[in-house]
Formats: sequence, C-alpha cells, structure tokens
Amino acid sequence: MSRRMTDQDIVDALSRILRILLRDEATVLTPQTTRPDVPGWDSLMYINFIVAVESEFGIKFKLADVESFETVGDIVQQIKALKRWG
Amino acid sequence: MLFNSYEFILAFLPAAIAGFLLFGMTSRTLALAWLIVASIFFYAWWRPFNLLIIGPSVIVNFIFARILLRLARDESQPRLRAFVLALGILFNVALLSYFKYANFAVTIASDLTGGNFVLEQIILPLGISFITFQKIAFLVDVAGRRVETFTTRDFLLFVLFFPQLIAGPIVHFREIVPQFHQATCRFNAEMFAAALTLFCFGLFKKVVLADGVAQYVSPVFAFAAAGEPVTLVQAWLAAVGFTLQIYFDFSGYTDMACGAALFFGIRLPLNFDSPLKASSIIDFWLRWHVTLTRFLTAYIYNPIALALSRRRAARGQSMLSGRGSTVSAFFHVLAGPILVTMLVSGAWHGAGYTFILWGLLHGFYLIVNHLWRQYGPRSADGKGAGAHFASLTGFALTFLLVVCGMVLFRAADLASAVNVMKGLVGLHGVGLPSRLAEILRMPSLAPMMQLDGEVHMRTFAIAAAYVVGLLVIALFLPNSLQVISKYEPALRIPKRPPKLAGVGPPIYWRPTLPWMVLIAVLAALAMMQLTGKSEFLYWQF
Repeated sequence: MSRRMTDQDIVDALSRILRILLRDEATVLTPQTTRPDVPGWDSLMYINFIVAVESEFGIKFKLADVESFETVGDIVQQIKALKRWG
Repeated sequence: MLFNSYEFILAFLPAAIAGFLLFGMTSRTLALAWLIVASIFFYAWWRPFNLLIIGPSVIVNFIFARILLRLARDESQPRLRAFVLALGILFNVALLSYFKYANFAVTIASDLTGGNFVLEQIILPLGISFITFQKIAFLVDVAGRRVETFTTRDFLLFVLFFPQLIAGPIVHFREIVPQFHQATCRFNAEMFAAALTLFCFGLFKKVVLADGVAQYVSPVFAFAAAGEPVTLVQAWLAAVGFTLQIYFDFSGYTDMACGAALFFGIRLPLNFDSPLKASSIIDFWLRWHVTLTRFLTAYIYNPIALALSRRRAARGQSMLSGRGSTVSAFFHVLAGPILVTMLVSGAWHGAGYTFILWGLLHGFYLIVNHLWRQYGPRSADGKGAGAHFASLTGFALTFLLVVCGMVLFRAADLASAVNVMKGLVGLHGVGLPSRLAEILRMPSLAPMMQLDGEVHMRTFAIAAAYVVGLLVIALFLPNSLQVISKYEPALRIPKRPPKLAGVGPPIYWRPTLPWMVLIAVLAALAMMQLTGKSEFLYWQF
C-alpha cells in the first residue's frame, strides 16, 4: 500500500480491519473513537488489531506508541508519520 | 498504619490533612513537603525497620530513572537505554523475589528433591508487591518517553503518597503527578464532604461487611485445613462468603484510599467497578482490581503478544482474524500470552502453589472465554429475550467460576482446597443443621454443620443471612464511586447512572442532611466494631 492515503481512507481501512476481527459488520470508526466506545474491543483484541494494521500498512509501531494511543485519530497520525505521508 | 484503626482515623489522617491545609495557606511547596514527610511517617509506623528496605530501593530507582531520562532524550543509544531499563527492572524483580519468593523456592526445592531445606523466615516489607510494580511501570514510562521530566519531589510524591502506598491503586506517573502540580491545597467544603463520604463507605464495607462475614468464612477454611471433611452447606457458605469478603475488603480499602487522596484534592484511578456483576470472565477482569489488570496487560501481555504476533506475520503464518482464525494462531498469539500473564498474576498475589494454580485457572477461564468469542455462536443484535437470557447465563457462570477460583485463593494449602471443592459438589454430605433437617423432614441431610461439636441452627442462620445480604448489596446496589460520581472522586469512573438493580431513578450522593445522617450511621457502626487488628487481605501482598 504505497499510495498516499487521506485521513478518511486510513480511518476506513482501520474500520474494515476491526470489522473482520470483531466479526461485527456494524463497527464504524471515526477519528474520535476510543476503545471503550466499541463493544468487544478489549485489550487482547487491541493487540490483534495493532498487528493487523502493521501488516496492512507495512509499518511497525513502538511499544510505547501502542500503549499511548487514546483515539483512532492518534493511530491515524502515527501511521502517517511512519509512512512519511506528512 | 492500618486505614481501619483508631490511630489512623482519629489522629494521623486529621493531622495530615490539617498540616497540608495550614502549609497550603502559605505555599504549595511546603504543603507537598509535609505530605511527603507524613507519608514516610505513615509507612514507618508499623515497623520502622521497613524503611531500611524501601529507602534504598527508592534511591536506586531514582538513580535508574535519572539515567533513563537522559538516555531517552538521546535517540542515538537505544541499545544502552534498553540495557539500563532491563537492569532496573531486574533490580526491582530481584528485590521482590528475595522477600516474597525465597521461602517458596526453598519449599519447591524440598518438594522436588525430597530434602528438607530450611531458610530463616523472611518478613515481607509492607506493600512491596505494589511498590515494585509501580516503580517498574515508572522506569518503562521514562524509557519510553511517556514521562518527559520529573523532579525529586515529583518522584517522592509519586512513590510515597500514603493513600496508595501499601495496596494501590497502582498509579501511573502521568495521571498523578500533574495533579500535585495543580493542587490548590485549599479547603473545599463540598469536596471534603465527598471525600469523607467515600472514606466512610469504604470503612463500613471493610469493618462491618467484610470482617462481619469473615467470622463465618474463616472457621470453615480452618476446619478444612485441619483435614475435617467440609459439607455441601459449609463449602458453599464459605466459598461464596469468601468471594464477598475479599470483594468488600479490597473495594472497601480502595474506597478509603480514594477518599483519603481526595482530601488532598488528588484523584486516584478506578480499581473496582462492581466486578461481581460481570457477565463474562473477560468482563470480570476489566472490573476487578482494574489497575492491576491494566499493569499486567501493558507490561506483560502486550509485549509478549505483540512480539509473537509480529513473528507470525513476518513468517507469513496465519494471523488471528475473527472466525477464520486457525487454531495454531489462536493458541500461539492469544492463549500462550494469557497463560503467562495470569501465571505472573497468580505468583504476584502470593508465593504458594495455590496462588499459582489460581492464576493458571483464571488463564484457562480467559482462554475458553476467548475461544467462545471467536468460534461460538454469534449473539444476535444484543436485544430481546435471547440476549437477556445469554447475559444472565453469562453472569451466573462467571460468578460460579470466580467463586471456585476463590477457594484456591483462600485455602491454606492444596489439600484443604481439594477438601472444600469436594464439599462444593456434595462429596462430603449436605450438612444442614439437624433442626432444619427435621423441619424439612429429611434427617438424612442433617449432621456435620459442626464447627465445634454442636449443630448450630443459629450460626447457620446468621452465616446464611450475611451471605445473602452481602450478595444483594454487591449485585443490586450501585457501587460507591457511581453514587458519588457527580464529584468525580476517582479517575475513569464509567458513566453508568447509579440505579437500584439497574432500574428506577439514579441515586446520587449530595451534601444533604439525609445523606449526612446515613453516612454518620454507617461510620458509627463501623467505628464501634473497629478492633484495629483486622488487616486488609491485600496488605499481605
């Protein structure tokens, strides 16, 4: 995935990944979404999600990043930083 | 110094608050310095010798943190930073291991070799398990640049602040220290009333509820430890009774800790969110001892799971992806890390086979829960009679599993745990008091409710009343933090309105006369039963 994506594209991709993991078609993320907002998105599912995102985008987060993401928007920003999509 | 003692409630706490407010009138610096001195006094009260252990540990951790802070700013030496961090963690784990596990290691060695090694008894310094975890988290945070800067005073307040010093909640630097920087150090009547209310709720939970039911729980476990077969009735009263005892004990302690911190304008993080109402084991661990779950997830589960998942991804092996997950992916990436995490949790709670098994048992519970989530039937839209039935079943099953686990947690050794477990399934007879059995015209259900040679109808009735009463409180009343939630007495309180049994209008605490009368009655009941001798169960960890 090398083309430059917009924030919305990234949020959509994250929603798609989470829908598959949670087996819940109704899951829709926004930049403001936090984990407690999404039923079933517990800490264990979160790790699966992070690794799925890493392989989807071909990036690797730092452990400290993984701990400190509060919102979906934070994840989007870090993906852009790692992909140098500024 | 115990929270539930006259010297703490009537002397230390008032003096600490008064000093804080008096110094606060002239300067925050003085008020915070007072708080540090008071915290050291608090810790030393029980056994001043403990200071000789905690003191050096605090200093060594401070030095490690300082070095890590410098290394974290300089991106050029990631390996050195990782090495220093590992050394710091090793230091803390080694200290904890010596005090907590040396004796257990000797026991294991004796059991394995058949030899009989004896080590002189090592006394566990108060609160060392909690203090160690908190300091490890701090070093990791500094190395990961989640703490950008800190002063000596910040560090001392973070480590020593007395309300959370002995048994948590396990706080993060970034959620506590900014609060000290912004503390007004002024008297605020409403907040003071909210803090006092929370403290009194906690005191009541500990002294009246937890210690009350303990009188009927402890004899049964002592009975079991003596090798006497425990009957069905005894086993259930003791197992459910202990589950309630430890809940009210630890959540009572936490309420007192949060209340004590709130007197100084500091909010500690949520630790209990009515865990016995949980509808699954996963849900239970998100609501029971929340700050420990948070610590274990962040510093043990996540690093292991992340590393394993990435390795699978790099090798092109299948990943966890909903229903399509392969069994090997599930066990490799999910089950393994869960078992390791819960094993650590068990060992952290206590050095003994029963605690290790308790941890593994909960690990097993969690794995089954995740298997069900992944591969089980999909729940409908979460509404309707079917979903209601599912959540009720989930609640009942979770409660039973937690109660069974608590038998391991409480029993003196494996043999007595097995004894109580056999009682739970009725292998040692029913054991109703003979008078009750007569009334029911089923004398075969009789004997054995004999703790000291006699069948006690009265003992049975009181014990059963305690267990049922506490169950009703734990399952149908809103919890204390919910009731006071308008005043945000703790961090991260979920926004669930405090309703009776989940229905009706919310019951919010306000500084009004009726509430004052209720709290005064609860406090008076607790103060009258205060012995100052009953330790909190979690202070031993």
